[in-house]
Amino acid sequence: MSKRLNELTISEARSLLDAGQASSVDLTNACLEEIRGKNGLLNALLETFEESALEEAKRSDERRAAGARLGVLDGIPMAMKDNIQIQGKHVSAGSKILEGYVGVADATVTKKLKANGAVLIGRANMDEFAMGSSNERSAYGPVKHPHDLERVSGGSSGGSTVAVAAHMSLASLGSDTGGSIRQPAAFCGIVGLKPTYGRVSRSGLLAMASSLDQIGPLTKNVEDAATVLEAIQGADPMDQTTSSAKPFIPSWKEKLTGVRIGLPREAWGEGMDQGVRDRVTEAVKVLESLGATVTEVDLPYVDEALAVYYVLMPCEVSANLSRFDGMRYGQRKEGLSLLETYLQSRAEGLGPEVRRRILLGTYALSRGYYEAYYVKAKKVQTLIRRAYEAALTNVDVLLTPTAPTTAFKLGEKTKDPLAMYLEDIFTVGVNVAGLPAISVPCGNSDGLPVGMHLTGRAFDEATLLAVARAYEMARE
Amino acid sequence: MSLSREDVLHLADLARLQLSEDEIASAQNDLGNILNFIDQLKEVDTDGVEPMTMPARAEGWREDVAVPVDESVRELILSNFPKRKGDLLATPGVFEKPKGGK
Repeated sequence: MSKRLNELTISEARSLLDAGQASSVDLTNACLEEIRGKNGLLNALLETFEESALEEAKRSDERRAAGARLGVLDGIPMAMKDNIQIQGKHVSAGSKILEGYVGVADATVTKKLKANGAVLIGRANMDEFAMGSSNERSAYGPVKHPHDLERVSGGSSGGSTVAVAAHMSLASLGSDTGGSIRQPAAFCGIVGLKPTYGRVSRSGLLAMASSLDQIGPLTKNVEDAATVLEAIQGADPMDQTTSSAKPFIPSWKEKLTGVRIGLPREAWGEGMDQGVRDRVTEAVKVLESLGATVTEVDLPYVDEALAVYYVLMPCEVSANLSRFDGMRYGQRKEGLSLLETYLQSRAEGLGPEVRRRILLGTYALSRGYYEAYYVKAKKVQTLIRRAYEAALTNVDVLLTPTAPTTAFKLGEKTKDPLAMYLEDIFTVGVNVAGLPAISVPCGNSDGLPVGMHLTGRAFDEATLLAVARAYEMARE
Repeated sequence: MSLSREDVLHLADLARLQLSEDEIASAQNDLGNILNFIDQLKEVDTDGVEPMTMPARAEGWREDVAVPVDESVRELILSNFPKRKGDLLATPGVFEKPKGGK
């Protein structure tokens, strides 16, 4: 086999483990070695759990030897975004205000990964409290693009993404509020899946915008994304928004005969790089050659979805982050009075983008503006959800690029918040409507990866992933 | 549109954020730009449309019961406090006069 162990997909690694041709300790050591070699440059992981990972790997090998494998992820090294709690490990959400804070309980997804036997190899860098599209908003420095150190990884799950793309972990978990799994996946040439809202519990996730946040996998291929989703999905009494919908079970198709794919007219206009347009158009041809029917469809409110997002998200951010005031969590900067202690703790602990969004949300929720902004946005959200439902009655999946550009240069967009926000134009609608979506690599433009974005019906990840997988197989 | 200096200071006060002079100036401009972008929502006809509640149907409430934790977890929670007195979280006094204040 020409691939090194850390370069394997989950399914390839599992075959070797099952056949006794490699151990989890081998896999974990291969990843740790890659981290030692590359993380100094890429800054993907904020902390490597060298000791506990090797310990977990050893226990996994012992279980396997005893014929007591826990689950399909038993022995597989995975990285966790730094906003997902692991009991006894630091968790900072990429923020100074939580420096030194230790997770008190496992998140539900952490429990599920552990119960499945996964080896947790490190916590991954991210934009502070998941607010950013480039990972330049981390208090611990930006994550660099694995193919070009002068470019951004995308964000906010940039560390989780680069850990996989640079073969430091076999898979990762990220979180996606407006595109934070899918956009870095597209920039770095891997697969990123945002499940349906309600599919995966967020208990133990440090919340950004609770009505939009969803945890999902970053993986080397679609099959692996399905494997991880199967492991982490399900209703959870600790997150009352989780649904008891029928569980996701993969159902692969070789041919796409009878599958209807819609290209939203409104999404294919101006503002898209030519290289992105070309690669995604080629991907559409591949899907047609597999038997899919491709039609143009109407999907109104593409621009409005971003506007709705930039009302609802900051409102929830301003509420969710009010608890970070130096009293109960993380860093406190003692001032002369209680008020000064609040002010100084938040001034030293929270970065500029977080502060900007808190101010924006405070504005939209303040007296005299609540109806005009928050309530109005919630009404337009209803229209957006209906528009997606209408479009998805005539087609099975919607197809656009994941992002209008490829990975941009570090510093290129930090001066203009609105330009950075426009990076999310194709991805936020899905969060606003609560639907599942996946980014799948579809080639390079000037040496940089391009992602194809597929959106499916609520709780129909099976169809969504089947289309993505068929495309991926046809390209290989 | 751009927000007035007073607007920004009022918001900062509500949000318990202390802003530098530079931050006040850039907030006036940046928030103004973002609000201009958001203002397109005013053009959308939402007569008779209900605000969306929750994308997924909530599955109801769980029982509100205290769950005992191991001593090690209890200690973990306490050790995360920025300042503690024994098993209590220590905070600045709410009604205290500022130390060294007028």
